[in-house]
Amino acid sequence: MELVDKIIKGERAAIAKAITLVESSKDSDQQISRQLISELIKKPGKSIRVGFSGPPGVGKSTFIESFGSYLVSQNYKLGILAIDPSSQITGGSILGDKTRMVEISKNPNTFIRSTPSRGTLGGISMGTREASIILDAAGYDFIFIETVGVGQSEIVASNLVDIFTLIVGPGSGDELQGIKKGITEYADIFIVNKNDGELKMEASKTAADYKSALSYYKKLDELEKQVLLVSAIEQTGMEDVIKTINQIIDQNKLKGIFDERRADQLEYWIEEEVKNIIASDITNRLTSKGNIPKYSEKVMKNEMSMYEAVETITKDTLKQ
Amino acid sequence: MTNKSNNGFNTWQKSFEKETKKNFSDAISETDEGINIKPVYTKDDMENFSFVEKYSLPGQWPYTRGPKASMYTNRPWTIRQYAGFSTAEESNEFYKKNLESGQKGLSVAFDLPTHRGYDSDDDLVMGDVGKAGVAIDTVEDMKILFNNIPLDQMSVSMTMNGAVLPVLASFIVAGEEQGVDRSLLSGTIQNDILKEFMVRNTYIYPPEPSMKIVADIIEFTSKEMPKFNSISISGYHMQEAGADNVLELAYTLADGMEYVRAAMSKGLDVDDFAPRLSFFFAIGTDFFMEIAKLRAARTLWAKIMKDFGAKNERSLILRTHCQTSGVSLTEKDPYNNIIRTSYEALSAILGGTQSLHTNSFDEAIALPTDESARIARNTQLILQNETGVTKTVDPLAGSFFVENLTEELSKKAWDIITEIEGLGGMTKAVKAGIPKLKIEESATKKQAKVDSGSRVVVGVNKYKNPKEPSVDVRVIDNNRVRDDQIKKIQAIKESRDTTAVKKALANLTNAAKDETNLLVPCIEAIKLRATVGEVSKALEQVYGRHFAKSLSVSGVYGKHFEGDKEFMKVESKIKEFENVNGRRPRVLVVKMGQDGHDRGAKIVATSFADMGFDVDMGPLFQSPKDVAKDAIENDVHAIGVSTLAAGHKTLVPELMKGLKEIDPKSKIVVFVGGIIPEQDYEFLYENNVSAIFGPGSNIIESAEKVIDLISDNLSKE
Repeated sequence: MELVDKIIKGERAAIAKAITLVESSKDSDQQISRQLISELIKKPGKSIRVGFSGPPGVGKSTFIESFGSYLVSQNYKLGILAIDPSSQITGGSILGDKTRMVEISKNPNTFIRSTPSRGTLGGISMGTREASIILDAAGYDFIFIETVGVGQSEIVASNLVDIFTLIVGPGSGDELQGIKKGITEYADIFIVNKNDGELKMEASKTAADYKSALSYYKKLDELEKQVLLVSAIEQTGMEDVIKTINQIIDQNKLKGIFDERRADQLEYWIEEEVKNIIASDITNRLTSKGNIPKYSEKVMKNEMSMYEAVETITKDTLKQ
Repeated sequence: MTNKSNNGFNTWQKSFEKETKKNFSDAISETDEGINIKPVYTKDDMENFSFVEKYSLPGQWPYTRGPKASMYTNRPWTIRQYAGFSTAEESNEFYKKNLESGQKGLSVAFDLPTHRGYDSDDDLVMGDVGKAGVAIDTVEDMKILFNNIPLDQMSVSMTMNGAVLPVLASFIVAGEEQGVDRSLLSGTIQNDILKEFMVRNTYIYPPEPSMKIVADIIEFTSKEMPKFNSISISGYHMQEAGADNVLELAYTLADGMEYVRAAMSKGLDVDDFAPRLSFFFAIGTDFFMEIAKLRAARTLWAKIMKDFGAKNERSLILRTHCQTSGVSLTEKDPYNNIIRTSYEALSAILGGTQSLHTNSFDEAIALPTDESARIARNTQLILQNETGVTKTVDPLAGSFFVENLTEELSKKAWDIITEIEGLGGMTKAVKAGIPKLKIEESATKKQAKVDSGSRVVVGVNKYKNPKEPSVDVRVIDNNRVRDDQIKKIQAIKESRDTTAVKKALANLTNAAKDETNLLVPCIEAIKLRATVGEVSKALEQVYGRHFAKSLSVSGVYGKHFEGDKEFMKVESKIKEFENVNGRRPRVLVVKMGQDGHDRGAKIVATSFADMGFDVDMGPLFQSPKDVAKDAIENDVHAIGVSTLAAGHKTLVPELMKGLKEIDPKSKIVVFVGGIIPEQDYEFLYENNVSAIFGPGSNIIESAEKVIDLISDNLSKE
């Protein structure tokens, strides 16, 4: 494929078109993109994929601007996939992430793509995983995947990356209660942003809260979770972040965790994909048969119980 | 209410309902501000006032009726026309001509690079030099600007906020080198940075150091320049950006309070500086509302200053400059603008302004010509000399309607002021982006009213002129201006004492690290011929440059069009497009160069998104090359360029070049909107621009054209 060569050469327009293909909801585009991805995975690059998530307003984009600037100043090539949360139920989206990435967006060693989240779970859009494969083949050293952290989204996002980072703000210690469950499962690094000005004390305190909470949840054989203090505005703490990322990656590679994780993730995505296909198939069958209204009426008339109806419909649907 | 008057009103109401075949309550209309306007007002509407004092007199507490007892009966308002373009030489010529024709004060417009603290030779400002104002790089330019204009006799107003330090310093030094001591200089420096963060975007540094600079200037002028207004607290640009009158009034006064606090934090007594605070409001087309706004502003400010502990009567008095609304001008049927401006001017006068700028009718298209500037000036001369409006002070006092409206506006504005104060004042509110968002919401509503036809704009959405007149415009050759400026900068840099300049700039950088008043070392550097850009950079080393976060409203525009046929047609075209192409049409909306007026860009972004486009917003102040990279990486179908500062002839071809450099086969549709003289259309089309939308374009129609252009373009592949 001509497109494959162009991507590997790093041609900006080709990379962009390829991402459009993998995000497209059109069948013919999907067919081409499947072909494309199967070719690209034969020529993997060396990208490290890093996920950044966190609640709205915590300064994710500003952090990425700051951290990204530091990385490109160290001659790394950086790809950014920003899942923009500002989607609406009706109408289109306003993608404003790049207004906060002024400096890195100018840099020739970056590629920044925003994608409207369309309200899918946690904002991981269709095609984000494939887009990271494209950027990997195109030779980017780091691929950042930025998502908004709401509810379960972190689990999905963490299955896309080699290292997952949660960005939080000062004074978020209380929120900790809410996100404690499973927190150690998916996040490798906790970054407390806004360690500047009036908020400095609060930020240090929050970092300490996280550290103590995390040590409590730590499993025996696990690496210690890192808590870092940064200021995106004052651009402090950035060396610590990259140092920590590199450390974790090196250790994980040494212990085989790195590959193991990628293998687990692959299983996850295969399972998800199969589930999706089955689910949409079943939905189609249910609708076309019109069993649900039929049996619902019977339940309403007290001719059968709801459980009997469910059982009958299930059997009938799976039989096909 | 006595029985007698009650009976009288009931009889009136019956007649009214009979004549109009409407219930009285259905005849009440709501303004943009959310104020109900009744078809008649009576003396009962003068009761229960908490701000307006019914029988007050001009020049007396609470100053509703005017800052002075005699007002125009003694001396009419100052005709102060805002102007400036190209080089200092050309602007100087223009000023002198205007002064000979009856203008009384000067008001300088600077170009965008000067505002943003860049020299004319900086690559970043290529398209903007000398365009929307005059280019000032060094004190030599300032001296030329006021050549043969005696600064001890002429009051000079300068619209400068971002680069306020080097520009005020240049003015002071220019005066001194003319032989005029700084204590004799009179005029005003705008120095209102808070509204820049809200609407106009010609800031340089982040909010906190910017506020420190404001306070430095208030401190310096209060001690050394007794005839000079240290600040012009401006609501003008808020209304221009789409704020309704309550928002304009409330945010302006709340800004004022923040400046008072900033100055007091320097240890100044409130009466030391408050008499030198001045204001600047916009006067739009809502005739009585604008009059009431000026009366309400004086009423509220007196109360605010009393609460600050002001003892000097002059501290309590709000004095203001006004300008007729630029955003009310239309590109279509442009001679209508003369009429609009005349009514707005009358509004400002009946509201009791101290000075006035009337816009030229061609300002929706380009910079004013000599001829259109003359008509604008004559609008005021006719008011002063022919109409008799100067003979009676505050002639609308006692009008049930106007007094009631003054009270209503005061109340509503006070609620917002209280809310802002509750947030900890305007600096905090601005940092959180709240006022900006409120203004954008208001702007989007107004646009939707015009586009849906529920608000009539003559010549635009009704009574269109079948034969649009063609209008001559002033053309600025910005490349020539830039070359001239670069030559001047080079000559100065060769002749000045470079070591001394470097030392002065280093001093300035050091001064920024502590609490020293920055104007003092700034004057030293300027005297030695440091440039505006060098001074700005010396401070930038300590403060950094500010980049604004961009928040957007959504759903506001679309709400006005529920069930609207045209709107639904575009929506369905977009859905169809998505079905065919596997994604929504995607448009990047950008501003390029140093032009920070982003009202148009924001309205287009939010309304296009409401119709179903995916809209990428670029940051402000992007170079064409940055825009090209952004557009291609996000694989957008179209780029919408918003331009209000005349840089399009340089910036658009650069963008086209940038796109082709990254992707020679790029099929991105480029459309341009904003203030573009018709003479430039041809040039832009030749440079592959697909569509041009001037001021007053209907957004739904524009969106439809864009989606059609994109579809056509894709089908050609």
